[in-house]
Formats: sequence, structure tokens, C-alpha cells
Amino acid sequence: MELAIFNQAFRENLRFKRVIPWIVLGVICTLFAMNWETFQPGSDKAQQYGSVSSIFVFHILALTSAILTSTIMTQEVEQKTIVYLLTRPVPRWKLLIFRYLACSLVVAILAIIDAVMVNAGVYSGIGSAANLGRDIAALTVGAFAYGAFFMLIGLLFNRAMIVCLLFAFGWESAVPNMPGQMCYLSINSYLQAIAQHPSAGGNKPMGLLSSSAGDNTLSSGTGYIAMIIFSVVLVVFGAWWFTSFEYLPREDAE
Amino acid sequence: MITAVNVSRWYGQVIGVNDINCEIGPGITALLGMNGAGKTTLIRLITGQLRPTTGELRVFGLEPFANPEVYRRMGYCPEIDNFYEHYNGREFVRYLARLDGMNAKEAARRTDEVIDMVGMTERAGKKIAGYSKGMRQRIKLAQAMLHDPDLILLDEPLNGLDPVGRREFMDLLGDLANRGKAILVSSHILFEVEQMTRSLLLLHRGRLLATGDLGIIRSLIDKHPHQIRIDTDEPRRAAELLAGLPNIVSMKFDRAGDSIQLEVREPSAFYDALQDAILDKNLAIRGFSSPDNNLESVFKYLVES
Repeated sequence: MELAIFNQAFRENLRFKRVIPWIVLGVICTLFAMNWETFQPGSDKAQQYGSVSSIFVFHILALTSAILTSTIMTQEVEQKTIVYLLTRPVPRWKLLIFRYLACSLVVAILAIIDAVMVNAGVYSGIGSAANLGRDIAALTVGAFAYGAFFMLIGLLFNRAMIVCLLFAFGWESAVPNMPGQMCYLSINSYLQAIAQHPSAGGNKPMGLLSSSAGDNTLSSGTGYIAMIIFSVVLVVFGAWWFTSFEYLPREDAE
Repeated sequence: MITAVNVSRWYGQVIGVNDINCEIGPGITALLGMNGAGKTTLIRLITGQLRPTTGELRVFGLEPFANPEVYRRMGYCPEIDNFYEHYNGREFVRYLARLDGMNAKEAARRTDEVIDMVGMTERAGKKIAGYSKGMRQRIKLAQAMLHDPDLILLDEPLNGLDPVGRREFMDLLGDLANRGKAILVSSHILFEVEQMTRSLLLLHRGRLLATGDLGIIRSLIDKHPHQIRIDTDEPRRAAELLAGLPNIVSMKFDRAGDSIQLEVREPSAFYDALQDAILDKNLAIRGFSSPDNNLESVFKYLVES
């Protein structure tokens, strides 16, 4: 039963029609990566990769998660197929958690593909295993952390996608650049701590774009621990919420 | 199997169902009511998609809301016409079989069985997006019967089925009822329901207006004058021939002068006499209708009586 829920959600999110925009975005990122020296002259390859990854890949991660994960259940509600799921002998929390796991895994895979393409673009096809390894870890943790947050927003609010997109682009771009401890209110700050991208040097605009202009002094370990606790708490709360409240096709509920 | 005690459900300021008391056991029970009467709300309460605002609802002695124990013994065919359109019928049913707790092999076997039961074997491999309304209806029925439930709830199940499909479906329901299953069928078409069962729950504006045997309700209706309209090129001659028939309360010609409108008591007795009075005397009749032989009129009569 659990495997069936996971498989269905996984395959549903990996349908070619759904994946194609992310592949196109990956190609665009790769083109930028190949020509990044134009935008950041005098920088080494590690700095170039760090910048492209922070500016594009980590934002694509948030965007992908906002679009895919916020609709884990709301899509079923909107297309009214929720009825079939909620009248089956499967506990609601299982339904939610296994769909969340599948969806987050898809988000992680898509983001990792982008990171690999960017890495290949910057290093002219050879790649750098050390940078990529840390990014893969950060993107995986990030997919589950963003997923937990967006899933919860999707359960709590109508038209959650707008809130999630605002968070992914507005909050996650602005807050990590804020002074003091404000940056700790952003998921991106923790992911940057895990990824350990090299700084953009004295290039202030590049620092702002790559969300590294704030006073982020988090260690990689803190990043992992904070994101795991954050994800678990939100998923547990989401599961409780989904089990306790009514979910009906939207126009029927209004 | 289902017990409702003073069950009410409100949607904000709007009432869905109001103070429902009933018990539903094995056999086919029809939930009858006009659109907006509260049929779907009551079914959603029974299927645990909604919680009652007040009152107590039990299915198999358990509270149904989000209760897998209840769903293990319940099958539900919703009114909605939505599916995973890119799936084919077999994939859709098989996925739901897996959610019923069957392993892959068992799910495949049971899927084939129920698809065969609803006559979709030939077409189950096609994408649902290309299905007709009737085919969609059959697939919904198939998924409701997957786990051989003791209780089956069907929300307007005959919508979109062709006459042959309806007949087959009614026979299938009869078989299931004979095997001791409880089946609750909602409908707004009295004629449809009459062919399936005698046991009724009549909902009107959220209230349970009548429960029990259809015959009693029918006889109540039959005492009330029915309207019958006869379209003919010779309305005066028709009136002359009809005047002698029993049970006619009133008779009037319409303005266009090509039809005659009657009010009759005990319509079945009237219909029996009609053949001798008109048809055997070579009166050409273009049309024949009973404008108030519908559920709306039934409720009107019941409310008035």
C-alpha cells in the first residue's frame, strides 16, 4: 500500500510533460555556466560554480518544490480525485507522508540534474566532485525541507501556490542577505551553509544575487540538524492536520 | 449498518442536512431527492468525508470520519466525473486496489474481475480521457466493488448509462443485495429508483421527508390529481371521447388548439381505460406526456399532504 502511494506520486511527478520545463531550465543554466566568466571576470572555476549554483540551481530548487510539493494534496482536491483517496482503507497520514517523500525525491532529482549540468558547464564537461558532492547533499536536504514547508502551506491555505512562489523568490532571495540574525529565518541560508560555496569575493552584486551578502556564520553540521528537525516537525504537523480536517473538492466546500 | 441520530451538517450559514434520523440495513435503499436536497452531503457524511455539525452518525458501529476500519468494508461510487485522465481504466482501478491493501498480483486479478463485472474488459486499456460518460460511470462502479465491501454507496450511479447498461447495472445491484450487501443509491429520478428498490429515504431541503416503502408514497401520490397532456389535431373529438372516462377531474384545451390537458385521479386506472376510449376509435394522437410525473411533483404532493 505504502509503495503504491509512493510509486504513483513519484511517477506522476516524473511524467515527461511535467519534467520538460525543468530540463529546459537546466539547459539555460548550463549555457549561463559555460559563459559565466563574462559576468564574474577574474574569478576561479570554484567561485563561478558557486555563484551559478547559488543563483540558479538553489532558486530552481525552491521553485520546483513550490510548484510540485504545494500541490501534493491540493491538486487532488482541485481535480476532485481526492474523493477516491480519502475513502480507501489507508490512513490519511500515510497518504500524505508517502506522497511527500515521493514528491520531494523528484524535486531533489531535478535539482541535482541541474547541478550536474551546471558543474559540467563551468568545468567544461569534466566537473568537480567536491563541489558537486556538497551541492547534492544540500539540494537533497533542501528538497525535503522546502517540501515539508510548501506541503504544509498547501494544506493550510487555498491558492497556496502564490504564497509558496512569493516565499521561494521573495523571502528566500531577500532574507539571507539581511544583516544580523535575520538570515536564520531562511531555508536557503541553511542550505548555503551545507553547500559551503566559496564567497563571491568583493563582488557585492554577485553576493546579493547568490544570497550570500548576509551575516551567515552557520556551520555545515548546524545546517543539517536544523533542516532535519524543521522537516520532521512540519511533516508531523501536516500529517496531523490532514488527518483531522475535512478535504473536499473546492467548489463543493465553499 | 448505518445509524444516524439527529444528524445535521451546516456549511457556514447554509444547511446541508438537518436533523436526520435513520437506519439503513442490508438490501437496496434509495436516497431520493431533488438537486440540492442534501443527498450528496448525507453520502459524504456516511463516507466520512465530512463530520456532522451535530448529532451522531455510525457506520458498522464506528465513527466514519477518516476511519480506515470503516473504509475496509465500504465501497463508494462518487457523483463526480473526475479521474486521472492520463491513466487507462485498468491502471486507475488497479491503483485503487493497491490502496485497498492488495498486493500487486491480487490487485491485478481483482481489477480484471470487477472490470469484467461492469462490462469494460474490452475498453479498460484505453485512456480515461477518451471515455464516454457511460464508460466513466462503469469504471467508477468497478472501483467501488474492488474489495467486495459489505456496504456500497452509489451517488447518482445511473447518470450517463445507456438503457442496456442500466439494466445490467440494476441486475448487478440486485445480485449484490441478494448476497446480503447494503446498497445505498442516491438519485433524483423516481422512475429509475422504482426499478431498483421499494425502500426509500426521501430528502427534501436537507430534511428527511419520508422513509419506508415506495408503494405507500406512490399511493399517496396517486390520490392527488395528475396532469396529462395529449397532443392531437382533433382536440374537440378527443375531449368528447374522454369525457366519459372515470377519474377525470378537469379538462381544458390549450390556446394553440392542438392539445388537451387533463387532470386525473388514479392515473393507472385512467391509462387502462384510455386505450378503449381513444386508440380503438382511430383518433390520431401526436404526443402524450405527463408533465408532473417527476420528483418535484412528488415532493410538492408530499409537502402539501
